[in-house]
Amino acid sequence: MADTVEETKTEIDLAVPWNVVVHNDPVNLMSYVTMVFQKVFGYSKEKAEHHMLEVHHKGRSIVWTGAREQAELYVQQLHGYLLLATLERTQ
Amino acid sequence: MVIRRSRDDFIQIEEIEPVHGELLRQLPSYCDPTGDPKAEERLFSRPADPSEGQINRDWEEFVRPELRHLFLSARRIVEEDLQQLDDVSGSQEQLFIPLAHVDAWLNTLNQARLVLAARYDFSEAELSGHEDPETFLQRDVALLQINFYAVIQEHIIDVIQSN
Repeated sequence: MADTVEETKTEIDLAVPWNVVVHNDPVNLMSYVTMVFQKVFGYSKEKAEHHMLEVHHKGRSIVWTGAREQAELYVQQLHGYLLLATLERTQ
Repeated sequence: MVIRRSRDDFIQIEEIEPVHGELLRQLPSYCDPTGDPKAEERLFSRPADPSEGQINRDWEEFVRPELRHLFLSARRIVEEDLQQLDDVSGSQEQLFIPLAHVDAWLNTLNQARLVLAARYDFSEAELSGHEDPETFLQRDVALLQINFYAVIQEHIIDVIQSN
């Protein structure tokens, strides 16, 4: 019974979309953050700048939402560029 | 100091004043967060809220060593490029950075800036002030270094994006 509960929880974890959130950091340059968003997500300069400015003015921006595995990969890439990024469950 | 695209696959930093050359030589040495929990925490930040225990534990075990390796590799590339400065005598030096090394440079400049900012606990106002310090205590010099490395980062980004 316990196994069934655990399996169901894991299935829910994988099914629920996750947000990739980037948090404000006074050290990272605006131009650098924009460049990283373009490289990691393939965003246009306009979209990348939009998220960068959201981070700058609001303290955080949800830069991507989707499957947990891909979200983890994105967070890892963002940490590789030394951005403050986290995974968050949606809802 | 002038930073521009040179030949086909290089960024050239030329007219490097001795003081700037020294700051560049020192760059990799400021990237090591060892013994400084705040700097260590900033370079290797948590990937999720503390309530996501399993994600954070897996990250610590599997991802953090990869990130440490990535940061160290970037520093080594920069250290090798910086050896050019040791070979040139005179008051002004120059440095050629292969375009293939640009990511390593941007990463290393960022490592140094983040470690210095965490170590000296600079506020956002201090970091965005761009004012010359009135004193030359170690903390004031660290702020100058952070801003100097930012200028290099900004120029490298400008150069690669304008081509």
